[in-house]
Amino acid sequence: MALLLTLTAFVPRALGQAAPEEEARPIPLLTGSTGFLTGFTGGQPDLHPLVTPLVLLPIGPKWLFETRATFETDLVQVPGRSGFHGGPVQKEAEYAQLDFIANPYITMTVGRFLTPFGIFNERLYPVWIRNLQSDPLILPIGIGPSNASTGAMMRGGFRVHPQCNINYAVYFSVLSTTSPVDSDRFAGGRAGIFVPKARLEIGGSFQHLLQQERSDLFGFHLIWQPTRLPLDIRGEYADSKRGSGYWIEPAYKLSQLPFLQNEMRRTQLVARYQQFFTGPLPSDSLPSVNTKQFEFGLNYYFLDGLKGSSNYGRQFSSAGNANVWTLGLTYRLVVPLGPTGSAR
Amino acid sequence: MRKTWILRCCLAAVALLVRSAMAQEQEKVEKSSGTPAVAARATASSPDMHNPALPKPGREAVAEERAARLEGEKRFRTNCGRCHQQPHKFPRRVMATAIRHMRVRAMITDEDMRFILRYMTQ
Repeated sequence: MALLLTLTAFVPRALGQAAPEEEARPIPLLTGSTGFLTGFTGGQPDLHPLVTPLVLLPIGPKWLFETRATFETDLVQVPGRSGFHGGPVQKEAEYAQLDFIANPYITMTVGRFLTPFGIFNERLYPVWIRNLQSDPLILPIGIGPSNASTGAMMRGGFRVHPQCNINYAVYFSVLSTTSPVDSDRFAGGRAGIFVPKARLEIGGSFQHLLQQERSDLFGFHLIWQPTRLPLDIRGEYADSKRGSGYWIEPAYKLSQLPFLQNEMRRTQLVARYQQFFTGPLPSDSLPSVNTKQFEFGLNYYFLDGLKGSSNYGRQFSSAGNANVWTLGLTYRLVVPLGPTGSAR
Repeated sequence: MRKTWILRCCLAAVALLVRSAMAQEQEKVEKSSGTPAVAARATASSPDMHNPALPKPGREAVAEERAARLEGEKRFRTNCGRCHQQPHKFPRRVMATAIRHMRVRAMITDEDMRFILRYMTQ
């Protein structure tokens, strides 16, 4: 109700405002990523080819329709048979949303959208973006049964001070039991403060589940890129009745090393430490016992959008310790679906 | 047997993608005159900036353009690098779509969007 009241207060003003001036007319775009990942979890190898196309369809000066799908399969070794065997290709429409850029402060979104709880699901999930190919253990917390919500969202970012930007998202999701586009009924929000000079963003997420145990969920996130070092530090904490935990991930590019500079500036070392603690309620998507996991990896950026990645990790839990290995090649594609115009 | 062929086809497709991407990259390198930083330095040391023969409004326009480019580069590195590796420049209309998407997804401010779009399409 509060969200609706806010919308009714803002939208008439927003409709009266001038369209944002963009210097070039946007065109429809097919982008996304493709990857070929090889995993060894607990000694069991599996091959995981996937394609994730994203279609961006700008409509007029203020609208954007965007949809992302995933096509993937797992090829695993079957005892007693040679080679790798897989099931059918899994197809999933991850999200399909219509965005209306009402004014410099507000964007309205309706449809099926990635739940903005924490930062990983919404901003770091694509294989060409993430530094380590494995998901954080706490990823399922707060994002709904299929990583997305079905409903409406209001979001935006604006400068409140020359040295400080604020970004926010508030949303409401309805219950949907139609697989694979199922979603839970909840309402929530996320807010972040970004200090451009320090390249530091900190923020928090809140969600209230409007079904089942009607519980509250909390989360915090941090992204810091020190200006003097080619270092990214990201981290998240999430807490719910079904479990809680955190991950922290530093990634360092070797561009400051004085030798093999062409190769070193393309090489990135990554580490991630994470812990998960079970909650009073069970969950199908979260570990069933307290778990710790440490991973480190190496990424090599061959070209803009083409990345080779490898990582090794060790998972410790009372259910048994296991090694986690991943090797992969990912590529981000950009295909214009119209005349692109020339550079000035 | 069939799965082995699927696997081989996937590997061949990845190899083709790598090859095509490398060819595109080579083409980009050949076309571009230098990195953004080099371009910024080139603008800073541009003879137009210090040419007394240039009328004052012209000099002011060049200085303004240079300042906008430097600010755009700074905001591009600060905002885009938060989540992913900074991409190369794309054609103007492609960039206009991408920046609108990032405005929604990454919630970059209206002002940042304008600076980055201008910088990325220069």
